[in-house]
Amino acid sequence: MQTLLQFAVETHGQTAAKPGFFEALGIDWKLLLLQGIAFLVLVFFLKKFVYPSMVKAIDDRQAAIEQGTKAAEVAKEKAAAAESDVNKMFKEARAQADEIVATAHKEALAMVEDAESKARKRADRIVSDAKAQLEQDVTAARAALRSETRELVALATEKIIKEKIDQKRDASLIESALGEAR
Amino acid sequence: MIPRLFAVEQTPHVSLPAEELFSIGNFPITNSMTLGIISYILIITTGLWLAKSIQRGSKNRFVLFMQWIFEMLLTTVEEVMGDKKRARQLAPLAITLFFFIITNYYLGILPFVGPVTYNGIPFFRGLAADLNVTFALAIISMVAAQVYAIKVHGFFGNATRYLRNPFKDPAGAFEGILELIAEFSRLTALSLRLFGNVFAGEVLLVMVAFLTQNFSPIALPFFMVFELFIGAIQSYVFFMLTVVFVSLGTMHHTTDDDHSKPAEAKKPILASGGNDS
Repeated sequence: MQTLLQFAVETHGQTAAKPGFFEALGIDWKLLLLQGIAFLVLVFFLKKFVYPSMVKAIDDRQAAIEQGTKAAEVAKEKAAAAESDVNKMFKEARAQADEIVATAHKEALAMVEDAESKARKRADRIVSDAKAQLEQDVTAARAALRSETRELVALATEKIIKEKIDQKRDASLIESALGEAR
Repeated sequence: MIPRLFAVEQTPHVSLPAEELFSIGNFPITNSMTLGIISYILIITTGLWLAKSIQRGSKNRFVLFMQWIFEMLLTTVEEVMGDKKRARQLAPLAITLFFFIITNYYLGILPFVGPVTYNGIPFFRGLAADLNVTFALAIISMVAAQVYAIKVHGFFGNATRYLRNPFKDPAGAFEGILELIAEFSRLTALSLRLFGNVFAGEVLLVMVAFLTQNFSPIALPFFMVFELFIGAIQSYVFFMLTVVFVSLGTMHHTTDDDHSKPAEAKKPILASGGNDS
């Protein structure tokens, strides 16, 4: 504490010994001018030789960042446009695919219907042909049967009556017999 | 007389003004100038090395750190000024103020400042702990503000900030007088704030070293770190206030005719007043 007081008294003594206010503060216009000039020279020197490089580096970096940002924006726009195109193409492709499927379905149905119709017609024709053939066969069989029957009857009759019957007589007899048989 | 170096002091040596070591003719060489010369050499050599390193495209951490600080300061000037072109004109002065003050502040904290003496007077003293320097810087700052204001408004346009017709606009005339007083108070505040902080910091370190005696190697680093922080703050404050004062001077201001109308602020960041605290 005593030391602090001693220090304070010494300091006070030093300042009190100075005659004027500015002198007490150590303000000397010559020194002030020198310091001001020295600082301005320093500013000039740094402005001339140091700061341009630093400012250029900052400007270059900012320009690169801006360029990068612009490029990113352009890329983003392009990506959006590409996505839109892809979506559009996808929609078109889907529409085309749907159309193709629908057409194919329609054509398939038409083909099936056509095939069915053709098959039905053919079946009908086969059936009708078969019926006709059957009728013909039946008719032929009947005719053959009749003929054979007639011959058999004629033969039998000849044997029974010991008489040769001519063809005309034979036929009429058979006819009458058959008529009775019915 | 043989000068004594590293003199052992019984009491801490504290002097408000920078002390004269010797003189060249009538010109005194003070102990703040010795450290000041070192700071000028340091700033110039570091600046040139930085410029060359940047040109070479060096990715040295110190170079990148200094570029980062420079960019931050430049951005601050541009944001406060609003006008990029004008900001680029002011930036060299403002940024040099920052680097100059912080360099001298930090040099003043170094352990050899104080103990190394010449004829019983400390051979080194922080340059910013010399009122001649802080006043010179403050004067340069305020003159710059006036120069930029005159560039924007013209000589008479700038004069209307201070001198107005009291019969037409009594309130404006009174405001002009206050503005004129404010300019001088800003100058004084700028210089005394910086000087006070640097000087108080040096005195604090001296007193802590003196009071703790053999324990000072343990006690001092804490206060030194604190001073590093204060140094950065004070450098930034001086830099910022210079930019703000210049910006205030270049803002559009009201005249006699439209005093009742609100001032149209050109710079959005400084829409309201900027009295130095």
